[in-house]
Amino acid sequence: MNDGLFDQFKTWYEKRHDYARDWKARTGGQVVATMCTYTPEELLIAAGMLPVRVLGAHEPQNVTEPHIFGMFCPFCRDSLAQGLLGRFDYAEGVTLTQSCIQYRQAFNSWRMHVPTVTWDYYLPMPNDVQSPHARKAHHAEVQAFREFLEALTGKKITDEMLQESIAVVDENRRLLRELFDLRKVADPQVTGVEALYASLTAQFIDKREHNEQLKKVLAALPNRNLNRPEGVRFMTIGSENDDIAFMAMIESVGGTIVIDDQCSGTRYFWNESLPEADPIKAIADRYCDRPACPTKDYPNHTRFDHVLGLAKDYNARAAIFLQQKFCDPHEGDYPDLKRHLEDNGIPTLFLEFDITNPIGPFRIRVEAFLETLTEDELF
Amino acid sequence: MNAQVAEAVAPEKKEFWRWQENTWVDESKDWRDAKIVTCGIDVGSVSSQAVIVCDGELYGYNSMRTGNNSPDSAKNALQGVMDKCGMKLEDITYVVGTGYGRVNVPFAHKAITEIACHARGANYMGGNKVRTILDMGGQDCKAIHCDEKGKVTNFLMNDKCAAGTGRGMEVISDLMQIPIGELGPRSFDVREEPEAVSSVCVVFAKSEALALLKAGYTKNMVIAAYCQAMAERVVSLLERIGVEEGFFITGGIAKNPGVVKRIERLLGIQAIDTQIDSQIAGALGAALFGYTLMQKQGAAKAA
Repeated sequence: MNDGLFDQFKTWYEKRHDYARDWKARTGGQVVATMCTYTPEELLIAAGMLPVRVLGAHEPQNVTEPHIFGMFCPFCRDSLAQGLLGRFDYAEGVTLTQSCIQYRQAFNSWRMHVPTVTWDYYLPMPNDVQSPHARKAHHAEVQAFREFLEALTGKKITDEMLQESIAVVDENRRLLRELFDLRKVADPQVTGVEALYASLTAQFIDKREHNEQLKKVLAALPNRNLNRPEGVRFMTIGSENDDIAFMAMIESVGGTIVIDDQCSGTRYFWNESLPEADPIKAIADRYCDRPACPTKDYPNHTRFDHVLGLAKDYNARAAIFLQQKFCDPHEGDYPDLKRHLEDNGIPTLFLEFDITNPIGPFRIRVEAFLETLTEDELF
Repeated sequence: MNAQVAEAVAPEKKEFWRWQENTWVDESKDWRDAKIVTCGIDVGSVSSQAVIVCDGELYGYNSMRTGNNSPDSAKNALQGVMDKCGMKLEDITYVVGTGYGRVNVPFAHKAITEIACHARGANYMGGNKVRTILDMGGQDCKAIHCDEKGKVTNFLMNDKCAAGTGRGMEVISDLMQIPIGELGPRSFDVREEPEAVSSVCVVFAKSEALALLKAGYTKNMVIAAYCQAMAERVVSLLERIGVEEGFFITGGIAKNPGVVKRIERLLGIQAIDTQIDSQIAGALGAALFGYTLMQKQGAAKAA
């Protein structure tokens, strides 16, 4: 059944480049390609810019080999390919906040070889966010980024402007969480694919517009009847994932995705900033406090209990690891995280993702996994 | 210089890779006596099997090469065994499809993955002590754990690569010009066990094998090196999931002692033996699932 409730998000996702071009024509503002969800979008928004997260296109490509190694993760290669192929030719700026070293190479290549880029900024966020020095260091870096943007635009970014943009971004986070929370119940009125469309589009649509759309959807949801069998409740775990076809496949063979730990989903929006008189502190701390990516989760593995907590809160029966091939940070976490989940009653399935994915063989694995969780009538 | 050119004679085209297609029925029984007749059809990438189960017992099967479309392969496999025992489609109460073509079996009532079906089939063939199953199929390879009922508890499949699968063995057979059924025994007819070839890639196998022959390897040594490489590859898959006692091998390669014995040597355990054709495990499991479903539904064939 499709009642069209999430169609706006779907259209935004599918025509995201058209949206950005239109936004630019409409507002006259700059568009900034952002790499990695640790980028403090609040600053860009306060500077009147549209942050647009770089995502892949899941198409075969042959343009990145001269620039980065084939053993960099598919997301690195696909992200760089989009730049080299001119898909982001409307973006004046490109910025990366440090997370993983391979993605940094993809960013370096992007800023060197994408001709339409007029400015770039590398924000060296500490990876050891658990260090007592991290917050102070990150505060200084976020402040430096603010000054860079002021010099770039020739306009001051006042504390008031920052507080206003923080409020807009926090509202977006709050609304997305409200939407995701509706998936806790049995037979949720939101599918995993729909939730993914909502959280992905938040990363490149003007937040004010996105907030209005989220409010409309949230208002309509209580009266919605999806009328589809829930099947097995799944959690997905991994780095970036916008392979909609894969998610739709899971939800077509007897499963519903009810929660995730991915930067395309909850890790992007999970926590709001805490009220601070100093907006830079509010922003810097918020990114230090957010659910950690494996690149920023040591010496303590805070992720493990966070992920298990999500699985329990959302009543996930099992979890699927969507492992981007060659993604060392996530591969490093995998054995212990798998054990942690399985020891606590959450069976797992591991699938290795590339730029394009073989849906047929993945379907066999997902169906066989489902059969281990159900199908008791066969014995 | 005038070269003497012999009259060109087209060499006889032999298909060394061609494995034995089989049709078998249990002559000691009459399917007409059975209350419930169920069928499992496994349309794999290389071979297709149809298995008939009468009241939960194996009655007959047909195993043949998969054609160029799944529905026809399913029909042909089933027709082969039905012709052998005078059965018609309407005599079968329930059909379960499995294998990569499982959703394209036209007359199937249900589709179940080959992973579940192989575990169920292995449980029947090797008994309820079977816990670890290695399925070496035509183009993929699976390591499966199951419980005493044959229910899958964990599994792993090879990714994106047909190395270490039946198709690879077919390529070597053709390359060495040796019938596929002889590869296993011949791999032990070597004075000294050679090291494994470095690549089990189906595509690169040819250049590697030719290089070995040039370096003075006998054909048997090349085959031994290839069997060893294949065994090492599947053992690495098995070790990722862990091997529990009660080890059983299904699929076409289970018939090749050159690979099986080397796997056993690497693992240090013996595979459970069976008299039943290892290639039919998936279809057999599917037919047994059909039987259980029918029993539970209480729908018996009209006497």
